[in-house]
Amino acid sequence: MSTAHTRPQSTRDLLRPEVLASLKNLDLVARSVVEGVMIGLHRSPAFGFSQEFAEYRAYAEGDDPRFIDWNVYARTGKTYIKRFLGDTNSHLMILVDTSASMGFGGPPVTKLEYAKFLGASLAFLAARQHDAVGCMIFDEEVRDYRAPSSRGGKLQGVLHCLDSATASTGTKFDKPFDKFRETMTRRGLVAVISDFYCDIEELLAGVRPLAWHGQDVVLFQVLDKQELDPEFKSNVLLEDLETGEAIEVAPQFMSEAYPKRIRAHVDDLKNAAAGIGADHVLVNTSNSLDEALRNYLLFRQRRQ
Amino acid sequence: MSFLAPLFLFGALAIALPFWLHRLQTQSSERKAFSSAMLLESAKQQVHVRRKLKYFFLLALRVAMLALLALAFAKPFFTVSNDSVMATAAGTRLIVVDTSASMGREGVFSQAQGEARRAIDDAPGDALIQVLAADNALRIAGEPGNDKAAQRSVVAGLSVSELHLNYGEMMSAVERIAATLPQPVSLHFISDFQASAMPVRFSDLVPAGVVDLTPHVVGTGEPFNWSVEFLRDGAEGLDVGVSGAGDTERIADMELSINGVVVETLGLSQTGQQTLRFDAPVYEPGENRVEVVINADDDLQIDNNWYHVVSNEPPATIPLITLNSGGLPLTYLSAALESAGDYVVEPLLAGDFDARVLSRYAWVVVDDIGLIDPQLEQALNDFLLGGGNILTFSGERAAAMEVLPLTGHRHSSSSVRTQADEFLSVGQIDVRHPALAQTEGWPSVNVTRSMPVVVQDEDNVLIRLENNEPFLIERRMGVGRLLLLTGNLDNRWSDLPVRPVFVSFIIEAARYLSGINEISKTYTAGASLPLSLTGNTSGQVVDPDGNTILSLADTTREQQVSLDKTGFYEVYTPQGQAVIAANIDPLESDLRRLTQDVLDRWQNTTGGEALAVAVAAGAEETKTVELWHWALLLLAIVVIAESILGNVHLTAQRA
Repeated sequence: MSTAHTRPQSTRDLLRPEVLASLKNLDLVARSVVEGVMIGLHRSPAFGFSQEFAEYRAYAEGDDPRFIDWNVYARTGKTYIKRFLGDTNSHLMILVDTSASMGFGGPPVTKLEYAKFLGASLAFLAARQHDAVGCMIFDEEVRDYRAPSSRGGKLQGVLHCLDSATASTGTKFDKPFDKFRETMTRRGLVAVISDFYCDIEELLAGVRPLAWHGQDVVLFQVLDKQELDPEFKSNVLLEDLETGEAIEVAPQFMSEAYPKRIRAHVDDLKNAAAGIGADHVLVNTSNSLDEALRNYLLFRQRRQ
Repeated sequence: MSFLAPLFLFGALAIALPFWLHRLQTQSSERKAFSSAMLLESAKQQVHVRRKLKYFFLLALRVAMLALLALAFAKPFFTVSNDSVMATAAGTRLIVVDTSASMGREGVFSQAQGEARRAIDDAPGDALIQVLAADNALRIAGEPGNDKAAQRSVVAGLSVSELHLNYGEMMSAVERIAATLPQPVSLHFISDFQASAMPVRFSDLVPAGVVDLTPHVVGTGEPFNWSVEFLRDGAEGLDVGVSGAGDTERIADMELSINGVVVETLGLSQTGQQTLRFDAPVYEPGENRVEVVINADDDLQIDNNWYHVVSNEPPATIPLITLNSGGLPLTYLSAALESAGDYVVEPLLAGDFDARVLSRYAWVVVDDIGLIDPQLEQALNDFLLGGGNILTFSGERAAAMEVLPLTGHRHSSSSVRTQADEFLSVGQIDVRHPALAQTEGWPSVNVTRSMPVVVQDEDNVLIRLENNEPFLIERRMGVGRLLLLTGNLDNRWSDLPVRPVFVSFIIEAARYLSGINEISKTYTAGASLPLSLTGNTSGQVVDPDGNTILSLADTTREQQVSLDKTGFYEVYTPQGQAVIAANIDPLESDLRRLTQDVLDRWQNTTGGEALAVAVAAGAEETKTVELWHWALLLLAIVVIAESILGNVHLTAQRA
């Protein structure tokens, strides 16, 4: 009996992948996740993240006039911008890898579906904090792109972009990062969601310029449980979803040597990301989505 | 290692089955999609090796299981030497010295002894040395040992015999001896290698259990030899076969002596085989010792003599126990026996018969078995048991009895025929019997009266009438024989006494009952003289040197006497004295040697194949250890291991 058919007992249960998979609307998924996460956070002041007032600062050209505190202006005749806690980044760019390998996983969800949930939740969370949010869907090429914007209705465009992504072909990070650098206008946060089955040096070659330009990069490495702890009881011929290469492996290897290899790869990626000031978050698709969001919020808190 | 049932080893071909199954299994892996093979690349070879290694162990167990099953059914075994055959590195050096008569050539045997001593000296220090003497038998000259001085003294004690050696028989004896000695056994054979000593089959020369043969040829050179090959006693004189072998003409003379007195001499000047005749000599009464001697300085002296016995005995007396010293039986019997010139019939009245005189005769005739009274019956019974023989007939007295004396025969249901016009012919004759083999004309015999008896188990019916009634019966009683004719020597019973077949029958029966046909007066040296055939079971034999051969105890039980010397033997039995002549085997006079090719082939054959043959021949002296039960035990262990490992694989696949 699958847990997807089990009635949720708490708010946290609503964030389990199998529950989220039953929600057909990505907007609803993102809203459910964020609201669930935020409920938890209010009970934990340590995070210090809320829509509470933080400070005033003088209006500067380029600021959104919507945030001018007109009450202050009426009393003083000066324009001040009302700032809230967490309202530190101007925009969030979400890059989602839709290579064929991202189609692996499940049930209940594939890595790509989990990446969509994660991306949508991040977008919803950013929009809730009045950040501009954009997204890019890529594999070997850039498949879709939405420039960051905080205008109303922009979130729906991002969610639609995520929702329409499908897994195909291989992965190349140079083209999406090059595209992003071309459109990059100001400092912001970049969330790259992928399984990162690539050469780490090639990845760093694309990420390193972003970091040098002041972008805060966080790498969400989405892996399925079968990738982290594969369970095979007999010999199996494994076919690479991207290249089609087939390799016969023994269960002993997959239960002993392969987990070590995948963790070594994760550690290498984590160390490499740390080396360029980026952050790395390992996401297990069998875990609840709030863990990934908590890690993301912790990351933001550290950067503020 | 050998196998009792090697055909079962073909069952090991089933090993191909697990190989085939394992090949299939390695090809049937489940195919699954995986996110990336990036991290699997380097693991591919390692996985393959481990899987192969694991499956290889299972495959090895299955192969071992089938192989052990086939092995167990094939019943492997190997042989190990038992305690009596101690294998030593040096083994045994077997030194066989030819001591046959041909080695008596001047200087040859001393040369052979020198070769034997050299073979002893050359032997490895720890080798066991065994010296054997070979003539008509292989004789152990001394105890085997490592002491070379002792073995040399054994060789010094050897002497030439007057016997013949056959190499095939010798090698057969060598096989038996070699099997009891520490292996390997090397054979040093010292001989003049006569071609006449070769066996019929060359394979008889290959001794099993001997790893190599080293021939030592002695007596080289071109010998010249005179020899007497035979002597025939004819009416016109004595014919003597003489052979002169050699390239050069030699002059010699040949003497004929009778009872030690030279009676005639002939000259010899022609080589090759020839027959010379001595004029009819005058023999003394009784047995005459005839000796032919060639006086010549040839290489082999022992074959220059030939010994012969000529019997000039008076006719033997055959006692006829009868009730009527002037009756028809005496007439017919005397006429038949005396026609041969060797017998004289002496009628003895049954009433006056002294049983003590029976021991003088080899056989007696009783003209009517019914005349035997109990006292005479006892005496004749003892006579038969002691080796005497009896020829007897039926008669009026026997016809009146229900049970015949001496034999215990009863009349058969058919009554005694008394009508003269009713006669029967002879139906069946055992012509293989010595008393009947030389007789002809039995079908012409008409039997008008007979006394049919009930045949008993110990009877041998030699003649049956046409109505299947027994007519002539032989019965062995002790070592004696009794011939019973159910008719009578009376022409009122049958016309047998007046038929020619009667004479030949009586003479052949006389020879058979007296044992004349089985006694030879001339033997070849080395032959056995059967004492029992001389007329009694005990006796004494004096060899040509005047020494008695038999011990006192053996005089009553020894049945065979070996005549190892040439010359005249005197045989004493209760029936009297007999003289036997023993001569050298003419084959020993042929001094031609084996060709070098034959000798090389003999030596080479003994070296190679003999080793393998030795294993089989030595089987009686080795212990066979069967391994099939160990194979079964190992099989059980392998089956358990295979089951466990196979179950592990099965469980993994099901999961």
